[in-house]
Amino acid sequence: MTDQIEEPAGGEAPAMIKADLLTSLVFIVLSASMLYGSWTMDRLANRRINPMTVPGLVPGLLSLALLICAIALMVRSVRTPSVGGWLDLGAAVTSQAARRAGMVLFLALVYTLGLVGLVPFWLATGIFVLAFILVFEVWLAAPRRTLRQSLPWAIGLAVATAAIVTFVFERAFLVRLP
Amino acid sequence: MLDGLGMLLGGITHFLTPLSLFNIAWATLLGIVIGALPGLTATMGVALLVTLTYKMAPDQAILCLMCIYSGAIYGGSRTAILLAIPGTPASAATTLDGHPLALQGRAGLAMGLATTSSALGTVIGIFALALIAPLLAEAALKFGSYEFFWLALFGVVISGQLTAMDDPLKGYIAGILGLMVAMVGMETLHAHQRFTFGIPALGGGVDLIPAMVGAFGFAEILGVIKRTAQARIVSSSEDRVVPKLSEILKYWKTTMRSGVIGTFVGIVPGVGEDVGAWASYAAAKRVSKEAHLFGKGSQEGLIAAETGNSAVVPGAMIPTLTLALPGSAAAAVLIAAMFIHGIRPGPLLMTESPDVLYQIVAILLFSTLAILVFGLTLTKPLLTVLSVPRERLMAVVYVLCVVGSFAITQRMFDIYVMVAFGIVGFILREMKYPMAPLVLGIILGDLLDLNLRRGLMLTNGDPTPFFTRPISAVICLIIVLTILMSIPAISMRVRALFDTRRAGIDR
Repeated sequence: MTDQIEEPAGGEAPAMIKADLLTSLVFIVLSASMLYGSWTMDRLANRRINPMTVPGLVPGLLSLALLICAIALMVRSVRTPSVGGWLDLGAAVTSQAARRAGMVLFLALVYTLGLVGLVPFWLATGIFVLAFILVFEVWLAAPRRTLRQSLPWAIGLAVATAAIVTFVFERAFLVRLP
Repeated sequence: MLDGLGMLLGGITHFLTPLSLFNIAWATLLGIVIGALPGLTATMGVALLVTLTYKMAPDQAILCLMCIYSGAIYGGSRTAILLAIPGTPASAATTLDGHPLALQGRAGLAMGLATTSSALGTVIGIFALALIAPLLAEAALKFGSYEFFWLALFGVVISGQLTAMDDPLKGYIAGILGLMVAMVGMETLHAHQRFTFGIPALGGGVDLIPAMVGAFGFAEILGVIKRTAQARIVSSSEDRVVPKLSEILKYWKTTMRSGVIGTFVGIVPGVGEDVGAWASYAAAKRVSKEAHLFGKGSQEGLIAAETGNSAVVPGAMIPTLTLALPGSAAAAVLIAAMFIHGIRPGPLLMTESPDVLYQIVAILLFSTLAILVFGLTLTKPLLTVLSVPRERLMAVVYVLCVVGSFAITQRMFDIYVMVAFGIVGFILREMKYPMAPLVLGIILGDLLDLNLRRGLMLTNGDPTPFFTRPISAVICLIIVLTILMSIPAISMRVRALFDTRRAGIDR
């Protein structure tokens, strides 16, 4: 993302200012929800605890602190000039770099939430490593490698990782695998 | 004093066994490799390796993790010198002079000086650790809930301030987010479940290890793969690697100063090796007679940066062991690992198991020796490591992230925590939020919450002792001043006031 959000000399990039504005709104919603949750949290009155020691005290104070910081961030973002910020931010989110990060996330989620638990761990690991290397060396690389160049390495590393991780963790260090 | 020396000798002899020496060798070497590989940081390495040490004896487990930590901080210098990319954030300042030296055909000398400076920096920090930690632990025995509350808050505030120098607001937000995460699960004062939303797995709160593996491992993978540019290794390492004694001693003042600065930075909670390196580099540049050479291949600049970052490692262990306040992000993982292995860092450590402190001093001494040996001899094999394509490496690292977060409690939930922290950590990093205050917040949240409410319970709801007890009042004042000075309008007015006064005196 930041490939596009380069900082100009003497201040924040317009895209970063807009991104700060968006995150400040997220933090305001988060802090308001937590403040509400803290306020309505059980005060354990039936156990006659001191009202100053209720479980919601610290979360409430923290959400107030986050609210103040988020408002300061929002005010700063609104006040700072950022011509073309939304366009730059849009370009950053749809850039090649963001696509690569998105693909890592996709592969990781498929491996973690889909394959692990569904098939044996060694097989899931082998498939993940093979797919990861091929995607980032043959498809989303610059310059790209040919399938013939990458495939032997990808298969070798997939088999080696699956075997070594399983052996080292399960046999040598007696750690259970997912 | 003599007791301390005796225990230090005991610590050294304790690890003079074939198994310990073998563990020191492989763990330090692995640490150097982790540090040298761009995208793998010391914190990530320590967090991933907690799993491997799970079934080891406590002393051997801490030995391996400490060696990986100090090895990784040193290992980053290799990449900084040869690729102009800091292998770990700690080596960013090393890049400024290390890489220009390599471009001048003196890569070997740069690597040699980085090695000796790292070793000397660690030794200076080790002295401070052996001397200050027992005193601090004794003083900390007098701390009550009031002081611990302020210390926890101080850690998060100062870490937020110093790790996000350009934008402390983002540092504070990261710290508060970390503290908020720590609020999830059962609180320890009244055993009440908070923010668990009926999910049983959240009852025990968010475990630090999966959170750290996510924030420092998965987030790093996303960041590394996002970039397409590959750096080129400077291959002119034909010159000598072992520096002459005169080259090391020439800048002894810089070495001493940087060692002290690094150690002090390490003592400050949550402020890591990168700040230690930058602070030492800036101080060296300010007083150097060769300031014009800084950034163009200055040996003094390289020495300052490497001594500074390495001295942080033992420095960070001082609050970690005596107050259970992590001196750096990697030290936070070490605290979690210590608890897993039944070691309780904190003021009672010197009473319950004083040998642990001196064993850690001994471990750092051994790892320093290992760094010297590996750093000065394994130049060519480490070059090979740097040429591993990161696409292949990161696939394997993600597998280790999954295994690392699952293995300790063997719950799939921890893998989901790792993924969630990885995604959030990546987004926050892209938006220039520092990770150290977030992690510090997670580890200090319980301490802050428990001590605030326990203190209020002891005084029947009266907050006055939090502000009137001497140590509490001082820490509170520092926190208030730190926050006020990070507000641009106030800091500008204070600076203007000082400038006006100075101008008046000059006249």
